[in-house]
Amino acid sequence: MKISDARVCVLRIEGTNCEEESFQCFRRLGAKPEKVHLKQLTGTDVTSDEKRSLPDYHILVIPGGFSAGDYVRAGAILAARLKSRLSQDLAEFVREGKPVLGICNGFQVLVETGLLPATSGVMAAVPEAVLGTNDSARFECRPTLLKKVNRGLCVFTSIISDDRISLIPSAHAEGKLMFPLDREKGMLRELDDNDQIVFKYVDPRGRLAGYPWCPNGSTGNIAGLCNRDGNVFGLMPHPERVFFRFTHPDWPRSPDGAGDGRPVFESVLRYISKKL
Amino acid sequence: MSTTDLYIRQRAPFELSEVNLSECTDEQLMEISRESGTGLSLEEMQAIRGHFVERGRHPTDVELQSIGQAWSEHCCYKSSKVFLREYVFGIDNRQVIDRGDAGVMEFDKDHAYALRIESHNHPSAVEPYGGAATGIGGILRDVLCMGARPIALVDPLFFGPLNLSSAKLPEGIKHPKYLLGGVVAGIRDYGNRVGVPTVSGGLWFDESYVGNCLVNVGCVGIADKRNVRRNAVRGPGDVLVLVGGRTGRDGIHGVTFASAVLTEESETESRGAVQLGDPIMKEPVMHAVLEANEKGLVNGMKDLGGGGLSCVVGEIALAGGCGAEVDLTKVPLKEEGLAPWEIWVSESQERMMLSVSRRNVDKVLHIFKLWDVPATPVGGTIKEKRVRLYYEGVKVFDLELDFLTAGPEYCRPCSASRAGRRTKERVPKARARYDRVMLKLLSDHNICNRDWVIRQYDHEVRANTVIKPLQGRVGHWTHGDATVIKPVEESFRGLAIATASNPFAVGIDPYRGGKGCVDEACRNLAAAGARPHSLTDCLNFGNPEKPDRLWQFRETVRGMGEVAGGLDIPIPSGNVSFYNESPKGPVLPTPVVLGCGIVRDIRKCVTSELKGEGNSVFVIGRTCKEMGASSYYRITKSHSPRVPDVDIDALRAGVDIVARGIERGAIVSCHDISDGGLATALSEMCIGGDIGADVDLSGLGRMRGDVKLFSESNSRWVAEVRKGRERQLPKDRRTTAVRIGTVGGDCLRLRSGRTLADVRVSSLAKAFNEPLWRSVG
Repeated sequence: MKISDARVCVLRIEGTNCEEESFQCFRRLGAKPEKVHLKQLTGTDVTSDEKRSLPDYHILVIPGGFSAGDYVRAGAILAARLKSRLSQDLAEFVREGKPVLGICNGFQVLVETGLLPATSGVMAAVPEAVLGTNDSARFECRPTLLKKVNRGLCVFTSIISDDRISLIPSAHAEGKLMFPLDREKGMLRELDDNDQIVFKYVDPRGRLAGYPWCPNGSTGNIAGLCNRDGNVFGLMPHPERVFFRFTHPDWPRSPDGAGDGRPVFESVLRYISKKL
Repeated sequence: MSTTDLYIRQRAPFELSEVNLSECTDEQLMEISRESGTGLSLEEMQAIRGHFVERGRHPTDVELQSIGQAWSEHCCYKSSKVFLREYVFGIDNRQVIDRGDAGVMEFDKDHAYALRIESHNHPSAVEPYGGAATGIGGILRDVLCMGARPIALVDPLFFGPLNLSSAKLPEGIKHPKYLLGGVVAGIRDYGNRVGVPTVSGGLWFDESYVGNCLVNVGCVGIADKRNVRRNAVRGPGDVLVLVGGRTGRDGIHGVTFASAVLTEESETESRGAVQLGDPIMKEPVMHAVLEANEKGLVNGMKDLGGGGLSCVVGEIALAGGCGAEVDLTKVPLKEEGLAPWEIWVSESQERMMLSVSRRNVDKVLHIFKLWDVPATPVGGTIKEKRVRLYYEGVKVFDLELDFLTAGPEYCRPCSASRAGRRTKERVPKARARYDRVMLKLLSDHNICNRDWVIRQYDHEVRANTVIKPLQGRVGHWTHGDATVIKPVEESFRGLAIATASNPFAVGIDPYRGGKGCVDEACRNLAAAGARPHSLTDCLNFGNPEKPDRLWQFRETVRGMGEVAGGLDIPIPSGNVSFYNESPKGPVLPTPVVLGCGIVRDIRKCVTSELKGEGNSVFVIGRTCKEMGASSYYRITKSHSPRVPDVDIDALRAGVDIVARGIERGAIVSCHDISDGGLATALSEMCIGGDIGADVDLSGLGRMRGDVKLFSESNSRWVAEVRKGRERQLPKDRRTTAVRIGTVGGDCLRLRSGRTLADVRVSSLAKAFNEPLWRSVG
């Protein structure tokens, strides 16, 4: 399909607050994004003009923010609302190979719904991992360096060269990826075998490093994961914030070129232009 | 003297009394003022009595409460207006679009920006987390109700010293460390949740803030010009729609609490005056309000802040030349059993009043329904300029707006206090080397790295923050001077935002100190490549009923107005916070300036850290021996009454040199010279760039070495000029630009004839980066 026909659903509810910049990234690349309230998909309190249907879209984006305030576990409330009303639609969407992107709070939602890491099947019945409170116990807004470790499965990073270090900033209080302790080693091995690990936090020389390079203490320095088919991708850092060079934290030192986040959006649009 | 007989319980199925003022003695009048919690003075109570005696009836408790709100210092600026009118209201130019709850300025042909700053001091002193959070909530609504989308938050904070020993902590006062932690967490948890980046601010420490910390909060918003609204109804027949949070007993008498001195009992007596914030109500309120407004469904709007409904209904109606009728029964409540007067004056958060034409009401309600935000028509506007209130069918309030909103205005006595003014100079002894002084200054809590605070705030959400509060090579962060936002998708035009305050200078010489604050805001903006365009100010002072405090206020405002006027920079909004006193005395007089500047092309902006080996270092602006209130004098326990003055011509010339030098690409980094002087500014630039510099200060004139290093003379910048582009730095006879050295190496070496200091950049960084983490990390 043509990129200009690609319909992108940027999902929002109260407290999602990165929808505008996520929307803009797709618009700038020529796709057809739309900010859609969850109630438009479930048909609650809306007129027939406002009603939308998830299968009509080609890409689903769950943007960053604090959906419903995140007063429980981050992402848990939106995940519960999604699962209670749209479980079938979501599973079908993923099964068809349509891409789903979860950024920051969106990543937390994908883990809570069981769409990530989903080491077996499309959607786990109970969460297999959690994005827990940062080791610093604080919200951390800081530039982070991500090394692409994915060997080619993830459809959101296909045009990023192997081992490239991208500057994609983080801003979250709960980004420490953790697995059940007794299964941690096995899960890590499985994720690696399945090529589900996409980005890792590194220092400027590309080495796995501790705080502040890894802002949260994440297991294995993992910053982003995809599912077994590579079409569901979640990451804590915000690629939509560095679409342009001039929103990089140090851009006056090297003002030329695109932002490091842009290839994430280009990759997925290239994927759907070929596959769908 | 008993007042029980004066309250006449009315026959109504709810709590309602009339107050018999007509036969009151003066003592009884004051007793009623106290009992009602309104804090009205005797003269004010007498004026109220006169009004009702003329009309031959008694006021209801609802009416009395309402007048108390409207006539409070917080709401009607009764002590400050006379000076503000004289010195700052007059600065006007064609770029000012409106002066409502927030000021509105022209951004470009099609867009406007809104700006406002205010204080949330007393609530934060009692309950730092909630006080700071609701401060943000309030300022967001001020910008929102102009029809603008909030795009940046600013948080200047003032506390007592972090290392204050508990023994020195007065009764009933919370420790500065606790207050700082609570305030930062409140700003973080509210600001991050509503998705508006916190991009600027400041952190100051002084003994005078121990009993009364200052928490100011500013906001900037952007709007299409056609979506800008006034805080006014369109005319009679408009429907008043109350949207957002429910109304409860939190925040009753907030304005009265803000208009009195804090006491040992504030914690227990005034806890109920602190409102409760709910960012996840505010976030959808912003969406829904903006959506309704962009669809042209809203005639005018206003936020419910101090005084709650009692202030908003009268003001929004009167601004549109109308009156209003409201049915309090319709107001959605958090709990049952509120008396009508409580509903009327409650300052519960997250509420706004929309004025909507009857035919649009259903469309507005539908939008709010989608976002699950309560929206309720509670009344309408009428031709007569009066407000009538009903509760369960009973009329409980009927007042002329001219009387209700005609709060008193005072020209209170003001005079300089003689006692306590130190005129004698105490000069620090000259040293051979200043390495250790430099490091000590960098570690001073008033100077050191604020990353502990800044990194807890999301300063990038919305992805428009082009120049960020922390700048430098990745992993080597230093402070910037201004933050730059790119607010319009299709344009490279930028909005620069900077915060300035110097309470130490204002404390010694309020007139010059006031001038200096405006100067600092302008030089911060210029340092990023912006032209100063507008200012908003929050003026935090002591009790205005004391002549010396009011004198400080007047002199400060005079100084600020002089510089802003001289540069033709309007101040379209602002806030005055008096009564910042505790039993220990007043806070330092603290004017806070939030400056906005226009950047023609954000791709030309520069940051503060040094960029490259071999580039030239310039000082722009004249260095003078004006050491009063300098950080250097404060850490060496020295004193001078001579506070830096402002030469308006030199400031204007300096701003122009810096802004044009940046636009031409000659200047590649720039930092204003303020706290800690030239040595500190250079150190910060080295720390961010992780590179040294070799600097010779002989060209600055004949002065002691420490004056050259640490003077905080105004209108000065350090600029790094690209090698070979030195001649492209603009020249101006009204100020100076002197080449002082070269970027390179891993040490900052400062000479003036002989070596004054030579310190490794890594040592500078360690001194600068660690102190705050050690104290609060």
